[in-house]
Amino acid sequence: MTTEAIVIMIVILTAVWGGFGFFLTRAILSERGKRHD
Amino acid sequence: MSRVEQFGSRWGLVLATLGMAVGTGNIWRFPRIAASNGGGSFLVAWVVFLLLWSIPLIIAEFAFGKRARKGTIGAFVEIGGPKTAWMGAWVAVCATAIMIYYAVVSGWCLRFLAASLTGDLTSSAGASEALWTTFNSSWAAVLTQGLALAAALAVVWFGVRGIERVATILIPTLFVLVVILAIRAVTLPGAERGLAFLFTPDWSALAKPDIWLQALTQNAWDTGAGWGLILTYAVYMRAREDVALNGFLIGFGNNSVSLLAGIMVLCTVFAINPGAQAEIVGAGNEGLTFIWIPQLFAQMPGGAVFMVLFFLALSFAALTSLISMFELATRVLIDAGLSRRVALFGLGAVAFVLGLPSALYIEVFQNQDWVWGVGLMLSGLFIAIAAIRFGVDRLRTEVVNGDGADLRIGRWWTIAIIALIPIQAIALIVWWLVVAYQSNPEGWLDPFSPFNVGSVLFQWAIVLVVLLLANRWLVRRLSGPPSDTSPPKGGEVIP
Repeated sequence: MTTEAIVIMIVILTAVWGGFGFFLTRAILSERGKRHD
Repeated sequence: MSRVEQFGSRWGLVLATLGMAVGTGNIWRFPRIAASNGGGSFLVAWVVFLLLWSIPLIIAEFAFGKRARKGTIGAFVEIGGPKTAWMGAWVAVCATAIMIYYAVVSGWCLRFLAASLTGDLTSSAGASEALWTTFNSSWAAVLTQGLALAAALAVVWFGVRGIERVATILIPTLFVLVVILAIRAVTLPGAERGLAFLFTPDWSALAKPDIWLQALTQNAWDTGAGWGLILTYAVYMRAREDVALNGFLIGFGNNSVSLLAGIMVLCTVFAINPGAQAEIVGAGNEGLTFIWIPQLFAQMPGGAVFMVLFFLALSFAALTSLISMFELATRVLIDAGLSRRVALFGLGAVAFVLGLPSALYIEVFQNQDWVWGVGLMLSGLFIAIAAIRFGVDRLRTEVVNGDGADLRIGRWWTIAIIALIPIQAIALIVWWLVVAYQSNPEGWLDPFSPFNVGSVLFQWAIVLVVLLLANRWLVRRLSGPPSDTSPPKGGEVIP
Protein backbone atom coordinates (compact mmCIF):
# COMPACT_ATOMS: atom_id res chain seq x y z
CA MET A 1 0.00 0.00 0.00
CA THR A 2 1.25 3.47 -0.78
CA THR A 3 1.57 6.13 1.92
CA GLU A 4 -1.21 8.06 0.20
CA ALA A 5 -3.57 5.06 0.42
CA ILE A 6 -2.70 4.55 4.10
CA VAL A 7 -3.42 8.22 4.84
CA ILE A 8 -6.76 8.08 3.01
CA MET A 9 -7.65 4.86 4.84
CA ILE A 10 -6.92 6.46 8.22
CA VAL A 11 -8.87 9.63 7.32
CA ILE A 12 -11.94 7.76 6.02
CA LEU A 13 -12.03 5.21 8.84
CA THR A 14 -11.57 7.95 11.43
CA ALA A 15 -14.30 10.09 9.85
CA VAL A 16 -16.89 7.31 9.51
CA TRP A 17 -16.18 4.94 12.39
CA GLY A 18 -14.99 7.81 14.59
CA GLY A 19 -18.16 9.74 13.74
CA PHE A 20 -20.30 6.74 14.66
CA GLY A 21 -18.40 6.28 17.93
CA PHE A 22 -18.68 9.97 18.76
CA PHE A 23 -22.45 10.17 18.20
CA LEU A 24 -23.02 6.85 19.96
CA THR A 25 -21.09 8.08 23.00
CA ARG A 26 -23.09 11.32 23.04
CA ALA A 27 -26.34 9.36 22.86
CA ILE A 28 -25.27 7.07 25.71
CA LEU A 29 -24.29 10.04 27.88
CA SER A 30 -27.56 11.84 27.06
CA GLU A 31 -29.60 8.80 28.03
CA ARG A 32 -27.69 8.47 31.30
CA GLY A 33 -28.26 12.16 32.01
CA LYS A 34 -31.99 11.84 31.34
CA ARG A 35 -32.21 8.84 33.64
CA HIS A 36 -30.54 10.77 36.46
CA ASP A 37 -32.98 13.66 35.90
CA MET B 1 -59.57 7.22 22.07
CA SER B 2 -56.64 6.54 19.84
CA ARG B 3 -53.84 4.38 21.16
CA VAL B 4 -50.38 4.87 19.74
CA GLU B 5 -47.62 2.38 20.30
CA GLN B 6 -44.16 3.60 21.18
CA PHE B 7 -40.65 2.24 21.12
CA GLY B 8 -39.67 1.14 24.62
CA SER B 9 -36.38 3.01 24.55
CA ARG B 10 -34.12 5.15 22.40
CA TRP B 11 -32.05 2.05 21.63
CA GLY B 12 -35.09 0.25 20.31
CA LEU B 13 -35.70 3.10 17.86
CA VAL B 14 -32.02 3.36 16.90
CA LEU B 15 -31.58 -0.39 16.34
CA ALA B 16 -34.83 -0.73 14.38
CA THR B 17 -33.84 2.24 12.19
CA LEU B 18 -30.34 0.87 11.69
CA GLY B 19 -31.96 -2.44 10.73
CA MET B 20 -33.95 -0.55 8.12
CA ALA B 21 -30.87 1.28 6.82
CA VAL B 22 -28.43 -1.63 6.74
CA GLY B 23 -29.57 -3.84 3.89
CA THR B 24 -28.15 -5.88 1.08
CA GLY B 25 -27.02 -2.65 -0.64
CA ASN B 26 -24.39 -2.13 2.05
CA ILE B 27 -22.96 -5.60 1.56
CA TRP B 28 -23.30 -6.32 -2.15
CA ARG B 29 -23.39 -2.90 -3.81
CA PHE B 30 -21.07 -0.63 -1.83
CA PRO B 31 -17.87 -2.72 -2.26
CA ARG B 32 -18.44 -3.02 -6.03
CA ILE B 33 -19.25 0.65 -6.57
CA ALA B 34 -16.39 1.89 -4.37
CA ALA B 35 -13.91 -0.39 -6.11
CA SER B 36 -14.99 0.52 -9.63
CA ASN B 37 -15.21 4.30 -9.08
CA GLY B 38 -11.80 5.42 -7.97
CA GLY B 39 -11.45 3.76 -4.54
CA GLY B 40 -10.24 6.36 -2.06
CA SER B 41 -11.47 9.35 -4.04
CA PHE B 42 -14.96 7.79 -4.30
CA LEU B 43 -14.94 7.37 -0.52
CA VAL B 44 -14.24 11.09 -0.04
CA ALA B 45 -17.26 11.97 -2.21
CA TRP B 46 -19.31 9.30 -0.39
CA VAL B 47 -18.59 10.88 3.02
CA VAL B 48 -19.44 14.34 1.64
CA PHE B 49 -22.87 13.14 0.44
CA LEU B 50 -23.53 11.40 3.74
CA LEU B 51 -23.55 14.93 5.16
CA LEU B 52 -25.27 16.68 2.22
CA TRP B 53 -28.01 14.16 1.37
CA SER B 54 -28.48 11.34 3.87
CA ILE B 55 -28.28 13.04 7.25
CA PRO B 56 -30.43 16.11 6.36
CA LEU B 57 -33.13 13.80 4.97
CA ILE B 58 -32.94 11.37 7.88
CA ILE B 59 -33.43 14.31 10.28
CA ALA B 60 -36.34 15.59 8.15
CA GLU B 61 -38.02 12.18 8.19
CA PHE B 62 -37.66 11.85 11.96
CA ALA B 63 -39.17 15.35 12.31
CA PHE B 64 -42.14 14.51 10.01
CA GLY B 65 -43.00 11.32 11.90
CA LYS B 66 -42.55 12.86 15.33
CA ARG B 67 -44.69 15.86 14.48
CA ALA B 68 -47.48 14.16 12.53
CA ARG B 69 -47.61 10.73 14.23
CA LYS B 70 -48.94 9.32 10.97
CA GLY B 71 -47.57 7.30 8.07
CA THR B 72 -46.25 8.91 4.89
CA ILE B 73 -49.55 10.19 3.44
CA GLY B 74 -50.95 11.54 6.71
CA ALA B 75 -47.58 13.10 7.55
CA PHE B 76 -47.41 14.89 4.19
CA VAL B 77 -50.94 16.25 4.70
CA GLU B 78 -49.95 17.45 8.17
CA ILE B 79 -46.57 18.91 7.20
CA GLY B 80 -46.92 19.94 3.55
CA GLY B 81 -50.67 20.60 3.52
CA PRO B 82 -53.55 18.75 1.81
CA LYS B 83 -52.20 19.46 -1.67
CA THR B 84 -49.18 17.24 -0.98
CA ALA B 85 -51.09 14.08 -0.06
CA TRP B 86 -50.21 12.62 -3.47
CA MET B 87 -46.51 13.18 -2.73
CA GLY B 88 -46.80 11.20 0.49
CA ALA B 89 -48.64 8.54 -1.48
CA TRP B 90 -45.79 8.49 -4.01
CA VAL B 91 -43.30 7.86 -1.18
CA ALA B 92 -45.52 5.02 0.05
CA VAL B 93 -46.01 3.50 -3.41
CA CYS B 94 -42.30 3.69 -4.18
CA ALA B 95 -41.26 1.98 -0.92
CA THR B 96 -44.02 -0.61 -1.31
CA ALA B 97 -43.01 -1.40 -4.90
CA ILE B 98 -39.47 -1.94 -3.62
CA MET B 99 -40.80 -4.14 -0.82
CA ILE B 100 -42.54 -6.34 -3.38
CA TYR B 101 -39.34 -7.25 -5.21
CA TYR B 102 -37.14 -6.96 -2.11
CA ALA B 103 -39.03 -9.95 -0.69
CA VAL B 104 -37.59 -11.88 -3.65
CA VAL B 105 -34.06 -10.69 -2.76
CA SER B 106 -34.61 -11.66 0.88
CA GLY B 107 -35.74 -15.08 -0.32
CA TRP B 108 -32.52 -15.48 -2.34
CA CYS B 109 -30.50 -14.70 0.78
CA LEU B 110 -32.44 -17.29 2.80
CA ARG B 111 -31.92 -19.93 0.09
CA PHE B 112 -28.18 -19.35 -0.01
CA LEU B 113 -28.03 -19.36 3.79
CA ALA B 114 -29.67 -22.79 3.72
CA ALA B 115 -27.28 -23.96 0.98
CA SER B 116 -24.27 -22.75 2.97
CA LEU B 117 -25.51 -24.70 6.00
CA THR B 118 -26.04 -27.93 4.06
CA GLY B 119 -22.71 -27.65 2.23
CA ASP B 120 -24.38 -27.39 -1.19
CA LEU B 121 -22.24 -24.37 -2.09
CA THR B 122 -18.94 -26.16 -1.53
CA SER B 123 -19.81 -29.54 -3.05
CA SER B 124 -18.07 -28.70 -6.35
CA ALA B 125 -16.14 -25.84 -8.00
CA GLY B 126 -19.17 -24.48 -9.87
CA ALA B 127 -21.79 -25.32 -7.22
CA SER B 128 -22.76 -21.74 -6.45
CA GLU B 129 -23.16 -20.78 -10.10
CA ALA B 130 -25.21 -23.93 -10.76
CA LEU B 131 -27.46 -23.20 -7.80
CA TRP B 132 -27.92 -19.55 -8.78
CA THR B 133 -28.71 -20.47 -12.40
CA THR B 134 -31.31 -23.08 -11.51
CA PHE B 135 -32.76 -21.24 -8.53
CA ASN B 136 -33.32 -17.67 -9.72
CA SER B 137 -36.39 -17.20 -11.90
CA SER B 138 -37.85 -20.50 -10.68
CA TRP B 139 -40.78 -21.61 -8.51
CA ALA B 140 -38.24 -22.31 -5.75
CA ALA B 141 -37.57 -18.55 -5.70
CA VAL B 142 -41.34 -18.05 -5.29
CA LEU B 143 -41.26 -20.33 -2.26
CA THR B 144 -38.43 -18.38 -0.61
CA GLN B 145 -40.14 -15.09 -1.52
CA GLY B 146 -43.21 -16.35 0.35
CA LEU B 147 -41.07 -17.41 3.32
CA ALA B 148 -39.44 -13.97 3.51
CA LEU B 149 -42.83 -12.25 3.36
CA ALA B 150 -44.21 -14.58 6.04
CA ALA B 151 -41.23 -13.83 8.30
CA ALA B 152 -41.71 -10.07 7.89
CA LEU B 153 -45.47 -10.39 8.44
CA ALA B 154 -44.91 -12.39 11.62
CA VAL B 155 -42.74 -9.61 13.06
CA VAL B 156 -44.92 -6.68 11.96
CA TRP B 157 -47.98 -8.52 13.32
CA PHE B 158 -46.76 -7.70 16.84
CA GLY B 159 -46.46 -4.01 16.02
CA VAL B 160 -43.58 -1.79 16.93
CA ARG B 161 -42.69 -3.86 19.97
CA GLY B 162 -42.22 -6.89 17.72
CA ILE B 163 -40.01 -4.84 15.40
CA GLU B 164 -38.04 -3.54 18.38
CA ARG B 165 -37.49 -6.99 19.88
CA VAL B 166 -36.31 -8.48 16.59
CA ALA B 167 -34.01 -5.53 15.85
CA THR B 168 -32.53 -5.72 19.35
CA ILE B 169 -31.38 -9.26 18.59
CA LEU B 170 -30.58 -9.15 14.87
CA ILE B 171 -28.76 -5.82 14.52
CA PRO B 172 -26.10 -6.28 17.22
CA THR B 173 -25.61 -9.83 15.87
CA LEU B 174 -25.28 -8.45 12.33
CA PHE B 175 -22.63 -5.95 13.50
CA VAL B 176 -20.68 -8.73 15.25
CA LEU B 177 -20.89 -10.98 12.17
CA VAL B 178 -19.66 -8.25 9.83
CA VAL B 179 -16.79 -7.39 12.20
CA ILE B 180 -15.78 -11.09 12.43
CA LEU B 181 -15.88 -11.43 8.64
CA ALA B 182 -13.88 -8.22 8.14
CA ILE B 183 -11.23 -9.31 10.65
CA ARG B 184 -10.97 -12.70 8.95
CA ALA B 185 -10.65 -11.01 5.55
CA VAL B 186 -7.89 -8.56 6.56
CA THR B 187 -5.88 -11.36 8.18
CA LEU B 188 -5.77 -13.42 4.96
CA PRO B 189 -2.39 -13.42 3.18
CA GLY B 190 -2.52 -10.82 0.41
CA ALA B 191 -5.44 -8.92 1.94
CA GLU B 192 -3.44 -5.67 1.86
CA ARG B 193 -3.95 -5.62 -1.92
CA GLY B 194 -7.71 -5.34 -1.28
CA LEU B 195 -7.18 -2.48 1.17
CA ALA B 196 -4.90 -0.76 -1.35
CA PHE B 197 -7.56 -1.19 -4.07
CA LEU B 198 -10.29 0.23 -1.82
CA PHE B 199 -8.35 3.17 -0.41
CA THR B 200 -5.89 4.24 -3.13
CA PRO B 201 -7.24 7.55 -4.43
CA ASP B 202 -7.51 8.52 -8.05
CA TRP B 203 -7.73 12.29 -7.64
CA SER B 204 -8.36 12.87 -11.32
CA ALA B 205 -11.60 10.90 -10.91
CA LEU B 206 -12.96 13.66 -8.67
CA ALA B 207 -13.07 15.93 -11.71
CA LYS B 208 -15.64 13.60 -13.30
CA PRO B 209 -19.30 14.14 -12.34
CA ASP B 210 -19.94 10.39 -12.55
CA ILE B 211 -17.96 9.70 -9.37
CA TRP B 212 -19.92 12.28 -7.39
CA LEU B 213 -23.25 11.06 -8.76
CA GLN B 214 -22.36 7.45 -7.98
CA ALA B 215 -21.37 8.47 -4.44
CA LEU B 216 -24.65 10.37 -4.05
CA THR B 217 -26.63 7.44 -5.44
CA GLN B 218 -24.96 5.03 -3.03
CA ASN B 219 -25.90 7.27 -0.09
CA ALA B 220 -29.46 7.65 -1.37
CA TRP B 221 -29.92 3.90 -1.76
CA ASP B 222 -28.10 2.42 1.19
CA THR B 223 -28.89 4.80 4.06
CA GLY B 224 -32.65 4.61 3.46
CA ALA B 225 -32.86 8.42 3.59
CA GLY B 226 -35.86 9.75 1.68
CA TRP B 227 -37.63 6.39 1.48
CA GLY B 228 -40.30 7.23 4.11
CA LEU B 229 -39.15 4.31 6.27
CA ILE B 230 -37.53 6.48 8.95
CA LEU B 231 -40.65 8.67 8.94
CA THR B 232 -42.70 5.55 9.64
CA TYR B 233 -40.56 4.42 12.59
CA ALA B 234 -40.54 8.02 13.89
CA VAL B 235 -44.34 7.76 14.30
CA TYR B 236 -43.55 5.53 17.28
CA MET B 237 -40.86 7.76 18.85
CA ARG B 238 -41.32 8.63 22.48
CA ALA B 239 -42.68 12.14 23.03
CA ARG B 240 -39.42 13.54 24.42
CA GLU B 241 -37.17 11.74 21.93
CA ASP B 242 -34.18 13.38 20.27
CA VAL B 243 -34.17 13.87 16.48
CA ALA B 244 -30.85 15.26 15.24
CA LEU B 245 -28.43 13.13 17.27
CA ASN B 246 -30.33 10.00 16.28
CA GLY B 247 -30.12 11.15 12.65
CA PHE B 248 -26.34 11.43 12.80
CA LEU B 249 -26.09 8.12 14.62
CA ILE B 250 -28.10 6.28 11.95
CA GLY B 251 -26.20 7.86 9.04
CA PHE B 252 -22.74 7.18 10.43
CA GLY B 253 -23.75 3.74 11.75
CA ASN B 254 -25.04 2.66 8.37
CA ASN B 255 -21.96 3.86 6.52
CA SER B 256 -19.71 2.19 9.12
CA VAL B 257 -21.27 -1.14 8.15
CA SER B 258 -20.74 -0.32 4.46
CA LEU B 259 -17.04 0.29 5.08
CA LEU B 260 -16.72 -2.98 6.99
CA ALA B 261 -18.46 -4.79 4.13
CA GLY B 262 -16.16 -3.14 1.58
CA ILE B 263 -13.08 -4.24 3.52
CA MET B 264 -14.52 -7.74 3.97
CA VAL B 265 -15.42 -8.30 0.32
CA LEU B 266 -12.40 -6.69 -1.36
CA CYS B 267 -9.80 -8.20 0.99
CA THR B 268 -11.35 -11.63 0.42
CA VAL B 269 -11.37 -11.15 -3.37
CA PHE B 270 -7.75 -9.95 -3.53
CA ALA B 271 -6.44 -12.54 -1.08
CA ILE B 272 -8.12 -15.54 -2.70
CA ASN B 273 -8.37 -14.72 -6.40
CA PRO B 274 -6.54 -11.48 -7.28
CA GLY B 275 -6.38 -12.37 -10.98
CA ALA B 276 -10.16 -12.30 -11.33
CA GLN B 277 -10.82 -9.06 -9.43
CA ALA B 278 -12.07 -7.14 -12.47
CA GLU B 279 -14.44 -9.96 -13.40
CA ILE B 280 -15.68 -10.32 -9.80
CA VAL B 281 -16.23 -6.60 -9.21
CA GLY B 282 -17.95 -6.32 -12.60
CA ALA B 283 -20.25 -9.31 -11.98
CA GLY B 284 -23.15 -7.20 -10.64
CA ASN B 285 -24.77 -7.45 -7.22
CA GLU B 286 -26.17 -10.94 -7.67
CA GLY B 287 -23.12 -12.31 -9.50
CA LEU B 288 -20.75 -11.07 -6.81
CA THR B 289 -22.85 -12.31 -3.91
CA PHE B 290 -24.35 -15.57 -5.08
CA ILE B 291 -21.70 -16.84 -7.51
CA TRP B 292 -18.32 -15.39 -6.58
CA ILE B 293 -18.47 -15.02 -2.79
CA PRO B 294 -19.25 -18.74 -2.21
CA GLN B 295 -16.41 -19.69 -4.59
CA LEU B 296 -13.99 -17.45 -2.71
CA PHE B 297 -15.07 -18.69 0.71
CA ALA B 298 -14.75 -22.29 -0.49
CA GLN B 299 -11.02 -21.71 -1.08
CA MET B 300 -10.44 -20.05 2.31
CA PRO B 301 -9.32 -21.98 5.43
CA GLY B 302 -12.48 -22.43 7.52
CA GLY B 303 -14.41 -20.95 4.62
CA ALA B 304 -17.51 -23.13 5.12
CA VAL B 305 -18.08 -21.55 8.54
CA PHE B 306 -17.41 -18.01 7.32
CA MET B 307 -19.75 -18.57 4.37
CA VAL B 308 -22.58 -19.41 6.79
CA LEU B 309 -21.77 -16.25 8.78
CA PHE B 310 -21.77 -14.18 5.57
CA PHE B 311 -25.18 -15.38 4.39
CA LEU B 312 -26.54 -15.11 7.93
CA ALA B 313 -25.46 -11.45 8.01
CA LEU B 314 -26.91 -10.88 4.54
CA SER B 315 -30.22 -12.51 5.53
CA PHE B 316 -30.45 -10.44 8.72
CA ALA B 317 -29.72 -7.27 6.75
CA ALA B 318 -32.36 -8.14 4.14
CA LEU B 319 -35.08 -9.18 6.61
CA THR B 320 -34.75 -6.15 8.90
CA SER B 321 -35.05 -3.87 5.85
CA LEU B 322 -38.02 -5.85 4.51
CA ILE B 323 -39.74 -5.55 7.90
CA SER B 324 -39.44 -1.74 7.78
CA MET B 325 -40.95 -1.62 4.27
CA PHE B 326 -43.81 -3.85 5.43
CA GLU B 327 -44.43 -1.57 8.40
CA LEU B 328 -44.49 1.52 6.14
CA ALA B 329 -47.28 0.13 3.99
CA THR B 330 -49.11 -1.29 7.03
CA ARG B 331 -48.94 2.08 8.79
CA VAL B 332 -50.54 3.85 5.81
CA LEU B 333 -53.36 1.30 5.71
CA ILE B 334 -53.91 1.64 9.47
CA ASP B 335 -54.13 5.41 9.02
CA ALA B 336 -56.79 4.75 6.38
CA GLY B 337 -58.88 2.97 9.00
CA LEU B 338 -57.93 -0.70 8.59
CA SER B 339 -56.98 -2.85 11.55
CA ARG B 340 -53.37 -4.05 11.67
CA ARG B 341 -54.56 -7.62 11.16
CA VAL B 342 -56.55 -6.85 7.99
CA ALA B 343 -53.83 -4.52 6.67
CA LEU B 344 -51.15 -7.17 7.13
CA PHE B 345 -53.00 -10.04 5.52
CA GLY B 346 -54.15 -7.90 2.61
CA LEU B 347 -50.69 -6.49 2.11
CA GLY B 348 -49.00 -9.89 2.40
CA ALA B 349 -51.30 -11.38 -0.22
CA VAL B 350 -50.92 -8.45 -2.63
CA ALA B 351 -47.13 -8.32 -2.19
CA PHE B 352 -46.86 -12.05 -2.84
CA VAL B 353 -48.93 -11.95 -6.03
CA LEU B 354 -47.32 -8.78 -7.41
CA GLY B 355 -43.86 -10.13 -6.56
CA LEU B 356 -44.37 -13.31 -8.58
CA PRO B 357 -43.13 -11.79 -11.88
CA SER B 358 -39.93 -10.59 -10.15
CA ALA B 359 -39.40 -14.01 -8.60
CA LEU B 360 -40.00 -15.83 -11.87
CA TYR B 361 -38.30 -13.47 -14.35
CA ILE B 362 -35.00 -11.80 -13.43
CA GLU B 363 -35.61 -9.15 -16.15
CA VAL B 364 -38.79 -8.03 -14.36
CA PHE B 365 -36.86 -7.86 -11.09
CA GLN B 366 -34.12 -5.75 -12.72
CA ASN B 367 -36.72 -3.46 -14.28
CA GLN B 368 -38.51 -2.88 -10.99
CA ASP B 369 -35.21 -2.27 -9.21
CA TRP B 370 -34.37 0.35 -11.86
CA VAL B 371 -37.75 2.10 -12.01
CA TRP B 372 -38.34 2.42 -8.26
CA GLY B 373 -34.68 2.91 -7.36
CA VAL B 374 -34.67 6.10 -9.43
CA GLY B 375 -38.13 6.86 -8.02
CA LEU B 376 -36.56 7.19 -4.58
CA MET B 377 -34.80 10.36 -5.72
CA LEU B 378 -38.25 11.83 -6.36
CA SER B 379 -39.29 10.73 -2.86
CA GLY B 380 -36.35 12.66 -1.38
CA LEU B 381 -37.34 15.72 -3.42
CA PHE B 382 -40.96 15.47 -2.20
CA ILE B 383 -39.85 15.34 1.45
CA ALA B 384 -37.86 18.55 0.90
CA ILE B 385 -40.87 20.20 -0.80
CA ALA B 386 -43.22 19.30 2.06
CA ALA B 387 -40.70 20.63 4.59
CA ILE B 388 -40.38 23.87 2.60
CA ARG B 389 -44.17 24.29 2.55
CA PHE B 390 -44.28 23.82 6.34
CA GLY B 391 -41.35 26.16 6.87
CA VAL B 392 -37.96 24.51 7.27
CA ASP B 393 -36.85 26.87 10.03
CA ARG B 394 -40.13 26.28 11.84
CA LEU B 395 -39.67 22.51 11.55
CA ARG B 396 -36.12 22.92 12.86
CA THR B 397 -37.00 25.05 15.87
CA GLU B 398 -40.32 23.37 16.80
CA VAL B 399 -39.49 19.71 16.19
CA VAL B 400 -35.79 19.01 15.51
CA ASN B 401 -34.54 21.36 18.23
CA GLY B 402 -37.72 20.97 20.28
CA ASP B 403 -38.60 18.88 23.30
CA GLY B 404 -36.05 16.16 24.05
CA ALA B 405 -33.33 17.40 21.68
CA ASP B 406 -29.85 16.23 22.64
CA LEU B 407 -28.24 17.97 19.70
CA ARG B 408 -29.46 21.29 18.37
CA ILE B 409 -28.78 21.95 14.72
CA GLY B 410 -28.20 25.26 13.01
CA ARG B 411 -29.27 26.91 9.80
CA TRP B 412 -27.06 24.61 7.71
CA TRP B 413 -29.90 22.09 7.84
CA THR B 414 -32.39 24.67 6.56
CA ILE B 415 -30.08 25.43 3.63
CA ALA B 416 -29.58 21.71 2.96
CA ILE B 417 -33.34 21.06 2.77
CA ILE B 418 -34.26 24.19 0.79
CA ALA B 419 -31.41 24.14 -1.72
CA LEU B 420 -29.11 21.13 -1.60
CA ILE B 421 -31.63 18.27 -1.49
CA PRO B 422 -33.70 19.54 -4.46
CA ILE B 423 -30.55 20.20 -6.52
CA GLN B 424 -29.13 16.75 -5.73
CA ALA B 425 -32.44 14.98 -6.40
CA ILE B 426 -32.93 16.64 -9.78
CA ALA B 427 -29.28 16.06 -10.74
CA LEU B 428 -29.60 12.37 -9.89
CA ILE B 429 -32.87 11.82 -11.77
CA VAL B 430 -31.57 13.60 -14.87
CA TRP B 431 -28.21 11.81 -14.74
CA TRP B 432 -29.71 8.32 -14.39
CA LEU B 433 -32.14 8.97 -17.23
CA VAL B 434 -29.27 10.25 -19.41
CA VAL B 435 -27.24 7.11 -18.57
CA ALA B 436 -30.23 4.98 -19.55
CA TYR B 437 -30.69 6.94 -22.78
CA GLN B 438 -27.02 6.54 -23.69
CA SER B 439 -27.14 2.79 -23.07
CA ASN B 440 -30.10 2.40 -25.44
CA PRO B 441 -30.38 5.51 -27.67
CA GLU B 442 -32.62 3.82 -30.25
CA GLY B 443 -35.22 2.27 -27.98
CA TRP B 444 -34.96 4.78 -25.15
CA LEU B 445 -38.71 5.47 -25.04
CA ASP B 446 -39.89 1.86 -25.31
CA PRO B 447 -42.09 1.46 -22.21
CA PHE B 448 -41.55 -2.30 -22.09
CA SER B 449 -37.74 -2.38 -22.15
CA PRO B 450 -36.27 -3.47 -18.81
CA PHE B 451 -33.70 -0.68 -18.48
CA ASN B 452 -34.51 2.57 -20.26
CA VAL B 453 -36.10 5.99 -19.89
CA GLY B 454 -39.45 4.98 -21.37
CA SER B 455 -39.94 2.23 -18.83
CA VAL B 456 -39.39 4.68 -15.96
CA LEU B 457 -41.60 7.42 -17.41
CA PHE B 458 -44.39 4.98 -18.32
CA GLN B 459 -44.65 3.44 -14.85
CA TRP B 460 -44.15 6.74 -13.03
CA ALA B 461 -46.79 8.44 -15.17
CA ILE B 462 -49.41 5.80 -14.39
CA VAL B 463 -48.78 6.06 -10.64
CA LEU B 464 -48.54 9.86 -10.60
CA VAL B 465 -51.77 10.37 -12.60
CA VAL B 466 -53.68 8.01 -10.31
CA LEU B 467 -52.31 9.65 -7.18
CA LEU B 468 -53.00 13.19 -8.40
CA LEU B 469 -56.58 12.25 -9.26
CA ALA B 470 -56.99 10.59 -5.87
CA ASN B 471 -55.49 13.46 -3.88
CA ARG B 472 -58.75 14.71 -2.36
CA TRP B 473 -59.87 11.21 -1.50
CA LEU B 474 -56.51 10.55 0.15
CA VAL B 475 -56.85 13.70 2.26
CA ARG B 476 -60.37 12.75 3.35
CA ARG B 477 -59.37 9.19 4.14
CA LEU B 478 -56.09 9.91 5.92
CA SER B 479 -56.82 13.13 7.81
CA GLY B 480 -57.86 13.10 11.44
CA PRO B 481 -56.26 11.86 14.64
CA PRO B 482 -53.77 8.96 14.61
CA SER B 483 -55.54 5.62 14.32
CA ASP B 484 -55.33 2.70 16.69
CA THR B 485 -51.94 1.14 16.02
CA SER B 486 -52.05 -1.60 18.56
CA PRO B 487 -51.08 -5.13 17.49
CA PRO B 488 -53.86 -7.71 17.17
CA LYS B 489 -52.87 -9.29 20.46
CA GLY B 490 -50.19 -8.66 23.07
CA GLY B 491 -47.76 -5.78 22.80
CA GLU B 492 -47.67 -2.80 25.10
CA VAL B 493 -49.57 0.31 24.10
CA ILE B 494 -49.59 3.77 25.57
CA PRO B 495 -53.15 5.05 26.01
